[in-house]
Amino acid sequence: MSSRIYLGELEELILLMVALLNKEAYGVTVAEELKAQANRELSISAIHAVLHRLEEKGFVKSKMGGASTERGGRRKRLFSITAHGRNALEELRDTRNLIWNLIAKTTTL
Amino acid sequence: MNHSLKPPAWVDKVIDSLSPTDLSEEIRGDLYEMFVKDILNKNIQYARRRYVLNGVGFLFKSFFWKKSPYQPKPTPMLSTHFKMARRSLAAQKGNTVINVLGLVAGIAATLVILAVVRFELSFDTFHAGADRIYRMVRVSGDDMSEFRTGISYPVPVAIKEEIPGLNNMNTTAMEYFGGANVDVIDKSGTTLRRFREESGATLVDPSFFKVFDFGKGGLTWLSGNPDKSLVEPLSIVLTRSYAKKYFGDENPIGQTLRLQKRYDAQVTGVVEDFPNNTEFPFSILLSYSSLTKLNPGAPNEWTGVNDGHSVYIRLPEGMTQADMEKQIARVHAAHASKELSSSRHYLLQPLSNVHFDARFGTFSGRTISRETILALELIALFLLLTGCINYINLATAQSVLRSKEIGLRKVMGSNRKNLVIQFLIETFMVVLGAGVIALGLSEALIIALQPILNLRLTHYNFTDPAVILLLAAIVAVLTLVSGFYPAWTISRFHPIDALRNTFATERLGGISLRKVLVVFQFTITQVLVVGTFIVVSQMQFFQNVDMGFNRDAIISVRVPDRSAAGIKVLADKLRALSSVARVSFSYTLPSGVNRSHSYQDIGKPEAKEMKDYVVFEYGSIDSAYLGLFQLKLLAGRNLNAADSSRNILINQQLANSLHLGTPEEALGQQLKWNGQIMTVVGVVNNYFMNSLKEGYDNIAMRTEPGSYSTVSIKLQTTEGKSLIQAVKDIEKIWKENFPDHLFSYQFFDENIRAFYAQETKYAQLFQLFALLFLLIGCLGLYGLITFVVNRKGKEVAIRKVLGANVRQILVMFSREYVQMVALSFVLAVPVAYYVVDSWLSNFAYHIPLSWWRFVLPGVLVLVIALVIVSTKSARTANANPVDKLKYE
Repeated sequence: MSSRIYLGELEELILLMVALLNKEAYGVTVAEELKAQANRELSISAIHAVLHRLEEKGFVKSKMGGASTERGGRRKRLFSITAHGRNALEELRDTRNLIWNLIAKTTTL
Repeated sequence: MNHSLKPPAWVDKVIDSLSPTDLSEEIRGDLYEMFVKDILNKNIQYARRRYVLNGVGFLFKSFFWKKSPYQPKPTPMLSTHFKMARRSLAAQKGNTVINVLGLVAGIAATLVILAVVRFELSFDTFHAGADRIYRMVRVSGDDMSEFRTGISYPVPVAIKEEIPGLNNMNTTAMEYFGGANVDVIDKSGTTLRRFREESGATLVDPSFFKVFDFGKGGLTWLSGNPDKSLVEPLSIVLTRSYAKKYFGDENPIGQTLRLQKRYDAQVTGVVEDFPNNTEFPFSILLSYSSLTKLNPGAPNEWTGVNDGHSVYIRLPEGMTQADMEKQIARVHAAHASKELSSSRHYLLQPLSNVHFDARFGTFSGRTISRETILALELIALFLLLTGCINYINLATAQSVLRSKEIGLRKVMGSNRKNLVIQFLIETFMVVLGAGVIALGLSEALIIALQPILNLRLTHYNFTDPAVILLLAAIVAVLTLVSGFYPAWTISRFHPIDALRNTFATERLGGISLRKVLVVFQFTITQVLVVGTFIVVSQMQFFQNVDMGFNRDAIISVRVPDRSAAGIKVLADKLRALSSVARVSFSYTLPSGVNRSHSYQDIGKPEAKEMKDYVVFEYGSIDSAYLGLFQLKLLAGRNLNAADSSRNILINQQLANSLHLGTPEEALGQQLKWNGQIMTVVGVVNNYFMNSLKEGYDNIAMRTEPGSYSTVSIKLQTTEGKSLIQAVKDIEKIWKENFPDHLFSYQFFDENIRAFYAQETKYAQLFQLFALLFLLIGCLGLYGLITFVVNRKGKEVAIRKVLGANVRQILVMFSREYVQMVALSFVLAVPVAYYVVDSWLSNFAYHIPLSWWRFVLPGVLVLVIALVIVSTKSARTANANPVDKLKYE
């Protein structure tokens, strides 16, 4: 079960962004997407930190992309979600859904 | 994009240098992308600010600091280096031992030398405002050639009264009389204990402690205080150890000490012992006001001078040394006669020079010139350098043995940087080991050498953070100096050549450098060996030269009772002893360190002005004096008891100074001395009243029984009795005659030897250093030749098979080394000549610098080198060639 999945709120959010960006995820795009979708402004270093942590935990994998002039000729590291990452996200979503369903049945908000 | 719109470059640099290489690219890429977007959305300032903020933000993230897993981690590699170093050092034990020994000798000697230098440089630097304290000195003579420290008694009083700004707060006079008879007496006046102090007794003014505060916290007063305890005449302050010595655990305050058997003084205070590194080595401080009792006439005596009477001044604010000297000259001229004030100058000497200027005396009796300190420091430097040279030579020579290891390392992917680090670590381990051993050794050496070094250190080297720091610095520098070159050449090997082992020793770029280093090393060694040889010869010259008198088996004692009757009784009793050959009473001894000096003026009867007189040393003698010291009468007759004090003996030098002609012509001439007319009845040969550093002095002697303060006793040595026994006999008589006085005697020859105490110590020290250099140099030579002999075993074998004999092979091995040692000798001679010549010029009488004094020690070094090389190569030369060749 999900007891072995440790995903913080921010980690989950960024993992979602990586999934959303679909192989176009790297520091800057993740930051922009976070701003656009969740209205969260995070420093680029924080995003890198989370991405590295996710990679260590095996939720994302990375490879170096091509160089582009807008980056001053530097390559970017492109992140994509692993199957393990996708499973984790789904499990989290399922757990939440299950609980939301229970809430809807027993109480009125 | 516009070129002026660039992100701050320093952020990039920081990221590049700190982050793992594979991260910096993407980080900087992201930053740059955002920067560009910021410029488009906002403006350049905003973009720059964000760039910095975001960039710096990375520094706070832990992932940023994690080194990439693909990079070899240095820590485990470092431990490998240590392991490898340990193994290769253990594999070449002989070399390691030679290297460590050489370095230990160098480092230990350096630590000892630096301890000495630090001690010498620390003298009296701790007083607050020491840079404004000056000693008054007396420079006199027509050519200002006489340098003394004594100041006439009224001078300090007058300058305090007449020079504005000078007062009791910044001017202090003191008189060091050094030796004293000190008796502890009880309330009823009975003497409990007797002591004879040879040093440390001083008259001190309360202002002494105003001028000299002895640094932080000053000297602790255990009882009494500096303002009150030294005010009353005949009050005494003792140092803690002297109070203990006299009174044990009793309370010393209020006790009575009898000085010189005459003056009863009250103990009014106890002060902590004076530090070792001060020119004020006081232990018994008598109040300066006691002068009125001890020497009532003194305060008005502007001409007479006592060299123990010193004056120190702390310059008032805004006054320079030159100003003060002018003022002092003004005051002196106002009181003293014109002749005196024009020939005698009271000048100022900075306190910081007192310990280093040998022209003037000091209370501690020791000075060291700044040149000597520099020489010591140079020797330390060179000792370290020779240790390094050994290491460099051996390491480069041995490197060929390790070519396989290096080749393999390079093939396996080691880069040059890694190899250099590996070799430096190896060097570091050797140097560190040597440093640790040297620290222990230096401690033992300092303790063992204290008498030679005249060093009084109060704490251990181990516990001194400065020493530990210094040692760390020495180890670091030595590691780099001695390790870098070998590491550099060894790591340069081409892996293929290295693995095929095609190197011959000669082809290792180090050969020429190695020769240069060996020559350099032996040049220093030869300079020192030659220098030491000449210094020792000069010392022996001092000991053995005919000073104009006999000094064997003579002891001297102070006479307690100078009355004619007392002297007669003592003389009769002494002469009755079988162990005594001759006895003579006189004012002072003909020579030696411990004797009274009295300088007076003498001239022809028509002399009027100061310049018509010459200064001479006065002596008062009895008729036995000439016979006892075997002074030779050149003309005239000896003095006898019937002579009036108007008949004088002069020496040849005085006859020359006054242009009296030959000794015969001088006889019967009249001379004016102290306003009285004297007649010359005899002329004696010249003899050295002072050390050979100075020339002959003018001497005049007469009989003046009241001034006999010394008795000289020539011991009978022919009877097979020991000198010690003879002295014991005399002591027995002494105790019967003078129960109140301690019998303290001195051998005359030792008294003379003491002239050269300082030189003797340096001579011993330099002998030690020369030996050390020789030792290190020979160790290095031994290491080199061992290596060469081992490498060339096969060559020797083939040569022997082809008909070479042992002698030819020995010549082959030693030729190179003989050449190098000979070359270094040629280089060393001019340096040694220059140094030795300037040292010898300190002495009025010295040995001639003949060529053999250089060649002899040079040949000695060459022979030693040759012995080392040939004994080591002899085994290879004698070996059976079959053993070497059969495995081929």
